[in-house]
Amino acid sequence: MKNRANSSKRPSQSGDASPPAGFFPKWLNINVAIQDVGFFLVGLIAALVVGWIIFPAVLYSKQAQPINFNHALHLNPDKVDGIEGEKKEEKCSFCHEFREDGTFAGIPRLAKCTECHEDPGSPLGETPEEKDLMTRYVATDQQIPWLVYSKQPDCVYFSHIAHVNMGKIACDTCHGDFAGNEKLPLYLENRLTGYSINIWGKRISGFYWNKKPSDRMKMDDCAECHTQMGQEQNNACFVCHK
Amino acid sequence: MKLTRRNFIATVVGGVAGIQVTPLPWKFTDDVAIWTQNWPWVPVPPTGEFSEVSSVCNLCPGGCGISVRKVDNRAVKIEGRPDYPVNAGGICPVGMGGLQLLYNESLRFTGPMKRVGMRGSGEFQNISWDDAFRIIAGRISALRKSGRPEAIAAVDGNREGTTASALIERLMQAVGSPNYVRLPSLSDTYRMGNIVMEGRDAPVAYDLENSDFVLSFGCGLLEGWGAPGRVMNAWGMWHDANPAKRKTHIVQVESRASNTASKADLWVAPRPGTDAALALGLAHVIIRSGKYDAGFVAEHTFGFEDWQSTDGRPHSGFKTLVLKNYSPEQVSKITGVRPDVMVKLAAAFRLAKAPVAIYGKGKNDLNGSLYEFMAVQSLNALTGRINRPGGVLLPDPIPLNPLPYFERDDIASQGLKKPRLDRGGTQEYPFTQSLISNFADAINRSPKSPIDTLMVFSANPAFTLPDGGAFKNALAKIPFVVSFSPYRDETANMADLILPDCTYLEKMDDMVWPVGLQYPFYGLSKPVVKPIYDTRNCGDTVIEMAKAIGESVGSAFPWEGFEDVVKERAKGLYDAGGGRVSFDRAAPAWKPQNPKAGDKPGYNSFDDMWKKLMAGGLWYRPLDQAREWPWLFKTPSGQFEFYSQLIDQAIQRASAKDLRIAVRDDAACMAHYATPTSTANRSDYPLSMMPYEMINLASGWIPSPPFLYKTLPDTQLLKETSFAAVNPKTAAKYGLKQGDLVAVQSPVGEVQARIDLFGGAMPDIVYMPVGFGHTGYDEFLKGKGVNPNAIVQAEQDPVTGYPVWWNTRVKLVKV
Repeated sequence: MKNRANSSKRPSQSGDASPPAGFFPKWLNINVAIQDVGFFLVGLIAALVVGWIIFPAVLYSKQAQPINFNHALHLNPDKVDGIEGEKKEEKCSFCHEFREDGTFAGIPRLAKCTECHEDPGSPLGETPEEKDLMTRYVATDQQIPWLVYSKQPDCVYFSHIAHVNMGKIACDTCHGDFAGNEKLPLYLENRLTGYSINIWGKRISGFYWNKKPSDRMKMDDCAECHTQMGQEQNNACFVCHK
Repeated sequence: MKLTRRNFIATVVGGVAGIQVTPLPWKFTDDVAIWTQNWPWVPVPPTGEFSEVSSVCNLCPGGCGISVRKVDNRAVKIEGRPDYPVNAGGICPVGMGGLQLLYNESLRFTGPMKRVGMRGSGEFQNISWDDAFRIIAGRISALRKSGRPEAIAAVDGNREGTTASALIERLMQAVGSPNYVRLPSLSDTYRMGNIVMEGRDAPVAYDLENSDFVLSFGCGLLEGWGAPGRVMNAWGMWHDANPAKRKTHIVQVESRASNTASKADLWVAPRPGTDAALALGLAHVIIRSGKYDAGFVAEHTFGFEDWQSTDGRPHSGFKTLVLKNYSPEQVSKITGVRPDVMVKLAAAFRLAKAPVAIYGKGKNDLNGSLYEFMAVQSLNALTGRINRPGGVLLPDPIPLNPLPYFERDDIASQGLKKPRLDRGGTQEYPFTQSLISNFADAINRSPKSPIDTLMVFSANPAFTLPDGGAFKNALAKIPFVVSFSPYRDETANMADLILPDCTYLEKMDDMVWPVGLQYPFYGLSKPVVKPIYDTRNCGDTVIEMAKAIGESVGSAFPWEGFEDVVKERAKGLYDAGGGRVSFDRAAPAWKPQNPKAGDKPGYNSFDDMWKKLMAGGLWYRPLDQAREWPWLFKTPSGQFEFYSQLIDQAIQRASAKDLRIAVRDDAACMAHYATPTSTANRSDYPLSMMPYEMINLASGWIPSPPFLYKTLPDTQLLKETSFAAVNPKTAAKYGLKQGDLVAVQSPVGEVQARIDLFGGAMPDIVYMPVGFGHTGYDEFLKGKGVNPNAIVQAEQDPVTGYPVWWNTRVKLVKV
């Protein structure tokens, strides 16, 4: 005891049973080492829990959309008449339209809804969502404050028409398949940046084995796709950051 | 196990190691970077649908067409309209910065208000429009009931001929007060000059684009004179990039090396206020050479040669007067310009194919001098440059419908018989419609203000009048002041009640004949955005106010709103015919066009025309250069009068002394130069001060968009102090260096400024920029520099009575 205490230059504080002498090098106080590793692991595991579980849970706030819009219902010709278009893209752009000057309107304004849902007094269906639309927005002529899953920072210039018309990229390639959704997904807003989780991607690690374009919408993803499509020249800074 | 220091460190090391293999540090860094882009004070462009709205800029009398880019309902950019005849795509810095006047809430009144703080403190409390109308209508009705309608006065800064000014004048007529006072501007000097020499109550029309020699007497061509968009365009045409193709010569007559003077082909610097002598000196050289336009002079002018009136009295003509008094040597003594320069300049002017002499003083905001205008116009007549292409044109006025007749009640009829407080239109001021300096003076001189209620429209006289603060003093004495200004300006801050107008981007308004344009032009601006605050178009407010007053006042305003009145007046344009409501860039309005027999006006009914007028915002008659001579001049002689018989008649009714004319006999009826009088002692005040204007600050009552302050050099505004430009020689005489703080003292007051040594300043003259020294508006405009108007001691211009603001005696005292 005395020898070991001397060799470690630090008195052992426990009087527990020890492995036989000579098993470990003399300079190693095994009890202390076990303790060190133990505490190291405590810190490590705590950090892993914080980094992988708590941080993502705290980072995003959950917000419901103002109205639970039913894409599947609207795109079902048996139930809703008037969404014109042969191909899926044409149907999408019936509401998510391109303006005359080629700019993209994005999420439709109330005026688009009232093309059909014009009279607050006579709803077209029987859903509570439509009632909500009529009383809260159509009757008061207020814009619906939609939360936009794919909203990018203002410093990013993105042209839809270049991708959809010239690049022939289908809407759901980047946005995922909304057409079959009966409910809008929960909107997870990054508390720091104010943007949706869809930009960084639902996986907090940011890594995917078989990444689809709809998984993430960060700058690297844009660049990766440009390169794959042989449009590397479009990775120059000023193409998007005007 | 205890948590020792060692164990704690182990935990931390474990934690640090662990966190590296989680996304936290990398994601967190990325998010923080994005978070910094989204701070709430970082300006972010709005997203939405883009649109362009065409309208007309109303920030100065230039009337440029503007195209406003909008994203959804937010206006984001103002540009010049290429499809507009006046500016053809050009725009000035003030026009470009106009959005700050719309969206800068701290500059504006956001709804009707009444004063709660001391006068001038700018403390107001919100009230409803109903309450506001009740207060003002009650006050006016009470004054009318007590038989004192003349105690109601209106100061109107809208340009003459606009629908807004027509309505305000009508309101005063209906109420029964003669005290409708307009602010003087260069247009008034032009109008009066045209009346006395040509018998035409019309604006001046200079055919600049077709001229090959522009002799500018004081016009700030690059400082915002006339319609700035038009003049800048003309300047571009005059200065073709290829020197061989350059065809127009510019001569600038001005005492200071302004931008115009610096860029002109020749800069002639006479002493301030001696332009008339110089013009007559040039006339002398031309007459003496015998090479004036004898044909024009003989056929179309009156009073050139000596003549005899019907009573047998002999009169000396313009020729005799000029030959006797204005030889280059005599003129040189007055102006300081060398005789040989005058001889050469006169020859160049005479030999040019299409020369024109134009008259102005800086921008259009302040009046000029009648006899100076007459001298310059005489030079045009002498060389036959009137009613000739590239010279001075004589188009007909704009055929707007007059407002319909209405019945006045007894109170109004009695009130209108009372004399005007400013004595405008009396024997002393026969051609002057209103004189705001006399108005202020009358109030200041009486122990109790004869005006009980003053309404101020589109004007900020407490700041813009070159009167040494006289109007501001008068305001303090008037019991009740109502301001219709959209902005928190100095005059509005003195008001008891605010009925805020919309800004020019939120309302319909009309623009009648941009200053100096050679063809009749009517512009119509429309709301680019809906009023963003609780403000109302002043025209609508006037109509509503009249209805609230009721009785015969209300019935004089049968319209629903302002737009109805504009439409009713515009019907006159349709009835007169011959106008166009769209503009083809390939056929500029200044290019002579021969209307063909089959030419269609581009509209087929009045409603069609009105629709197109609203959409395009323009009506004009293409240039009609040489007009038939008979009936062109409506003077007593039917000719262009070198010798103005109207002035002669005015002198006979009053006397030359009453009209403040320094010379006697025949000279008094012709262009002449007289040494300006000043009550200030020359030895006490050895220098003279001249305010000057700039293109990059707004004109008149309009606040400058704060952006523009960034364009000012450190020799005009440095932090809180503005500069007074003086010649290095003058500065040396008083031991002053660049940047020294001085008090500029005049007999009426003192302002402090820093010295800027400027070689382009005439010795013994102190030049001070106009537009600084606000006490109203917001933190960006308030307390920056000083307002030279506060120390102007202005004498009255002969005949017109307008202030001679360009010649105040001052001294410099180092602080």
